[in-house]
Amino acid sequence: MAVKKINKKNIAKVLAVWRREYNIIVPSMATDVPAFSEWDGEDISFLDWYRNTAVPPKSVVLPPMEKMMSFRKEKDGYKTEVSVNEDKQIIFGIRPCDAKGLAIIDDVFTNGYEDYYYASRRRNTLLIGLGCTNPQESCFCTSMDVDLATSKDVDIMFNDTGSEFIAEAFTAGGEYLLKITTGLKNATGTDMKTAKSVELEAKNKLTRALDTRGVSKKLQACFNNEDFWKQVAAKCVSCGICTFLCPTCFCFDINDEMVRKQGARYREWDSCSFRLYTRMPMENPREEKWRRVRQRVCHKFEFYPMNVDIFACTGCGRCIRLCPVNWDITRVIAGLPRQSDVKEKASALKG
Amino acid sequence: METELCNEAGRLLEEGAVDYVIGFAAGSLKFTTTPLITSDKNDTVNLVNNRFITNNLAKYLLEIKGRVGIIAKGCDSRSIVSLIQDKQVCREDIVIIGIPCAGLIDLAKVEKLVGKDRDLIDDINIADDKAVITIDGKKKGFEARQVLFDHCLSCEYPVPREYDVLIESPVNKIRDDEAGKKKIRELQKMTPERRWAYWKEQFKQCIRCYACREVCPACFCERCFVEESQPRWISPAPQWQDNLVFQVIRALHVAGRCTDCGECERVCPQNIPLRSMSAEMCDLVEELFDYKTGLDKSALPLMTSYEPVEAEGLIR
Amino acid sequence: MEDNSQWQPRIVGFLCKWCSYAGADLTGTSRKKYPANLTILKVPCSGRIDPLFIMKGLQMGFDGVMVSGCHPGDCHYQTGNYRARRRLALTKKFLEYMGVPEERVQASWVSASEGAKFAQVVVDVVENIKAVGPNSLFSEEG
Repeated sequence: MAVKKINKKNIAKVLAVWRREYNIIVPSMATDVPAFSEWDGEDISFLDWYRNTAVPPKSVVLPPMEKMMSFRKEKDGYKTEVSVNEDKQIIFGIRPCDAKGLAIIDDVFTNGYEDYYYASRRRNTLLIGLGCTNPQESCFCTSMDVDLATSKDVDIMFNDTGSEFIAEAFTAGGEYLLKITTGLKNATGTDMKTAKSVELEAKNKLTRALDTRGVSKKLQACFNNEDFWKQVAAKCVSCGICTFLCPTCFCFDINDEMVRKQGARYREWDSCSFRLYTRMPMENPREEKWRRVRQRVCHKFEFYPMNVDIFACTGCGRCIRLCPVNWDITRVIAGLPRQSDVKEKASALKG
Repeated sequence: METELCNEAGRLLEEGAVDYVIGFAAGSLKFTTTPLITSDKNDTVNLVNNRFITNNLAKYLLEIKGRVGIIAKGCDSRSIVSLIQDKQVCREDIVIIGIPCAGLIDLAKVEKLVGKDRDLIDDINIADDKAVITIDGKKKGFEARQVLFDHCLSCEYPVPREYDVLIESPVNKIRDDEAGKKKIRELQKMTPERRWAYWKEQFKQCIRCYACREVCPACFCERCFVEESQPRWISPAPQWQDNLVFQVIRALHVAGRCTDCGECERVCPQNIPLRSMSAEMCDLVEELFDYKTGLDKSALPLMTSYEPVEAEGLIR
Repeated sequence: MEDNSQWQPRIVGFLCKWCSYAGADLTGTSRKKYPANLTILKVPCSGRIDPLFIMKGLQMGFDGVMVSGCHPGDCHYQTGNYRARRRLALTKKFLEYMGVPEERVQASWVSASEGAKFAQVVVDVVENIKAVGPNSLFSEEG
């Protein structure tokens, strides 16, 4: 399908057309922080201020809390009622870093074993990507193989050309949306050129970088360097902000809430930063803070690439921006011991 | 003043008076600082003292073993005293380097004031009671009180009262308790129904990241009531009812230990106005028991002491 | 408009074992009548009361929570009720600030010989709660 273009003034009309069949979820400041929430049918002022949200759009398909089922004890046993959300929805304005994060989470919840709740939401969700024009100082997506102007993980990619967006569909779902929006003009060669120059201008605004060359090996080598990790972890306070706001994090807990004879089962976000995360009856292998911090860094930059061949970090910068103590992953990676200590590894194997 | 601070901290490590120094270093983002925890005297040159030293470093005293030199603002020093009162920290194990504080800049307020994100602002400067914000080379003037934290505007103890070393510096402290308590006064004017509805809406946003609890020095329980499962007091799932109970009980549990340092509100990723709860608690504590946290290290903590006659009229 | 005249408030009361619970016992043995709206939970001392119990009571749906202990100076454990006094005073005032009507959280000192007082306390608490209506603070809607 040809690349289309949409005047920014007509975005509300386009969303209104899609709204006939889909819930539209857009960035909003209704709760005093930038967050994705259901579009009110009118307000598109987010086009003026939107850079990125605090809570990433993973919250749309993997909510901070979701009811899995309700149950009631009756005379002949438990009656259960499964709750699942299959509403068709569109996330409008997802950034390439968040889209890649979602693709990583998709792999966990739908590849092989399919998580019923996640899959039900995800398969009914279309993603409209929006290329960045004004990255934040905490952004380092390009260091993590993410292009701030395009994404293969969305259904349609919107790019800014100033007064218009050019829109390119990558999937059948995306093509369908562009098809039902009548009267869309094709983007011209000039439009494409303008979009490219906007993209370049945005890329030049990036100030943060992270060198991923050899990072997995470096982490492997210093795994047992307790002193190093204690220094890295010293100022962390073990809250859950970095994990909860990370587009690739997906850990969850399941709890039953019951009062007398009825209740419900909920799934909610959990974090490996919490001290009690790995607590078991006999022991807690990550009782000390430095072990949890080490696990977080290694999960993103060593274990994941080694097992799934992809870094579990998309450079969105939320962990840096919103961390209460300004713990900075780019500085940690830059400060990894350079020499791989062969002696270190040998002793690790022995013990 | 910064040189004096670095020298003092370096000296403490050099002489072996302390094993660690905790202070503030420049952050990796504009207008931020980050806690510096070091045993290396050469690191102390990185210590800074500016209008962005927001963290309450007293929290780290709970986990660092050994003798510690800690840089403390007024509110931090009161938190330290509170921890001493609760026997969580030994006075002999710490060397307090007190730094007078004239109030810190609230970036969220600045962003609202100029309608620009913090990384698009060139500079924020305060001189006397005026603030100058520079954007794209253009300077805009404001009253200093417009950019300072609410809790800084309400602060009565800008100079630490408990210290071993006090870094001398003139402090032009702007105190405007009315401005600092504006949000609370607005809430107090509402009817109870509207107030409850307000808090209900706020706590629908809470995702239970527990940042508020983790940055708070007054929260030092090994096992928080939230993590009890026998009995399960509140669900880990972030339902607004449980979120609200969590914060109300947290406020009541830290009553008499809270110094209104404002960290809980600053770190909340969902901008929940937590200080409107903790500051009100501080006011209630003062109103009911004539008590302010952290002024006398040999006094008993608020909730473990009592007067023969008090709180008349509340209990029949 | 719902007719609340048939509605009976449900109140939970935390009574200290040594004074208030005994006092409530005396009310019964003296055959003094008092409303049946109260569910009594015995605690060893009013100082055992964590504000958490009061919040949970309201969250679970009780229309009111009352706490009763020994008179100051008479605590079986010497100082328990002094601690309770501070906690209860703060809890009452803070919950009021949060938007909980003050009638929903009430505290009293009732000694083991004050059977009549206990009955009066319960009568008054029930009347107060009836005036503020059913507790829908934590009910789920939206």
